[in-house]
Amino acid sequence: MSRLARSAGNRGSTPREAKRAMTYEVLLNTVGWPLAKIVVLLAAVLTVVAYIGWFERRLLGLFQSRLGPNRVGPLGLLQPVADGLKLFLKEDIVPLNARPFLFKLAPVFAFFPAFLGFAVVSWALPWATPSGRHHGFVVADVDLGILLVLAVSSLGIFGIILGGWSSGSKYPLMGSLRSASQMLAYEIPLTLSVIAVILLGGSFRLSDIVAAQQKLGAYFILPGLLAFGVYLISAVAETNRVPFDLPEGESEIIGFHTEYSGMRFGFFFVAEYANMVLISVIAASLFLGGYDLPGVDDAALYAAHPNLASALGVFAFAAKSALFAYFYVWIRATFPRYRYDQLLRIGWVVLLPIALANVALVALLKLWLLR
Amino acid sequence: MNAIGRFLQMVTFPELLKGMAITTKYLAKPKVTESYPDARPVLPYRTKGRLHVEIETCISCRMCEKACPEGCIRVYPPPKEVFKTDKRPAEFYLNQEHCLHCGLCVDPCPTGSIHHSQEFELAVVHYDDLLFDKETLPYDLDQKRFRWNLLENVPVKK
Repeated sequence: MSRLARSAGNRGSTPREAKRAMTYEVLLNTVGWPLAKIVVLLAAVLTVVAYIGWFERRLLGLFQSRLGPNRVGPLGLLQPVADGLKLFLKEDIVPLNARPFLFKLAPVFAFFPAFLGFAVVSWALPWATPSGRHHGFVVADVDLGILLVLAVSSLGIFGIILGGWSSGSKYPLMGSLRSASQMLAYEIPLTLSVIAVILLGGSFRLSDIVAAQQKLGAYFILPGLLAFGVYLISAVAETNRVPFDLPEGESEIIGFHTEYSGMRFGFFFVAEYANMVLISVIAASLFLGGYDLPGVDDAALYAAHPNLASALGVFAFAAKSALFAYFYVWIRATFPRYRYDQLLRIGWVVLLPIALANVALVALLKLWLLR
Repeated sequence: MNAIGRFLQMVTFPELLKGMAITTKYLAKPKVTESYPDARPVLPYRTKGRLHVEIETCISCRMCEKACPEGCIRVYPPPKEVFKTDKRPAEFYLNQEHCLHCGLCVDPCPTGSIHHSQEFELAVVHYDDLLFDKETLPYDLDQKRFRWNLLENVPVKK
């Protein structure tokens, strides 16, 4: 506040003008910059979400000895645009048996939490402006960031259950019930694997976890290898992707969005890809050091060229997240779907004991080795 | 011990890793998709495409017309005085709308003037475009790719 007051005092000559300038500064810092960040982040995330669909379809094609969509634009790069246009122009059907209000609300419930989690992700080291201010590459660097991601991503299941129930048809209802049973299987191992990382990092804040990895000089994938494995498997279940795509059952069984058409279906679709991006981004920052540049002393580089370090950090982060996205497409190309009793068995008999043992192991590591 | 062994197998899932290795192998393999309009398909020599008639060698014997089960070929020989010196047909019609691509007209031809071309893109806008006459029929769309060897009745690559 003192810095603000000083700069405001320099600008205005009379107390009234000084006060106005100060109000302007406060407004800019509380509303202006966060809003600008939100707009930029949403635009970036929506673009990435659109193109991860293209990325997945091309890569899946290559895995299956096909080429994938390559007709629209160079390399098929305009495919997301064509798909979006198609979905927007299609007829929006609400079945007679559906409960119209909830039926229309459900896609929003699925869509909204998928994008909320991106608010707490720290994308790079703060950007330094010539005026000496630092803008963090994060919308809200809250203390309990990773906890918020876990909570909000669990909320996404409401959209699925609501959509399945309000369709007024039995197959979507069954799909959403499978989704509920799936949630029982993965939530606890997922949370436990994240707890191991929180123990190692000593903070719930994502930027602190990355800073802890930089300080340790090793990414948490090494001490938390078991947690990494558990996270990878439960994250697939979290995003409803093959081989745990029980609610959706794209290839043969009928899923929760059977009755949806047009852009309402598109919202579910986008939410799924947004979840995939979010889970990849979180995995990259928890286990692979986030925006840390591998093999470079980040602190020294940041002291010398702060903006270069920030910009490179964003690219490093994107590359690490892309690794996870590649992995998820890879396993989609490989595995058939599990039954939901098999998924529950994996969750409770395999993943939970490993995750619990890993928490104890990491706690001991933290006590004796990494103090 | 057995239980521990089974648990270890569940945890390390060797068969899952094997599956992932196989998909990676296929990632590097050549793709089987043909980018059809961009890359022309390689057709076998004996592809039964649209009928192609070499009017210059035709002797108006009407064997193809008699052989055609659909009756889609009509050959009009020239007047008698002309026929003595020039046996080329006065008019030759093919109704592509009815053609079965059966090849029965190709076998009896004594001069090998009628044969299948490799032209397979037969979609047209109007019915009228399906009717070919002496002027339009010999138009060989494949001229750039092969020529017909009349003696052995096989196409020859240029």
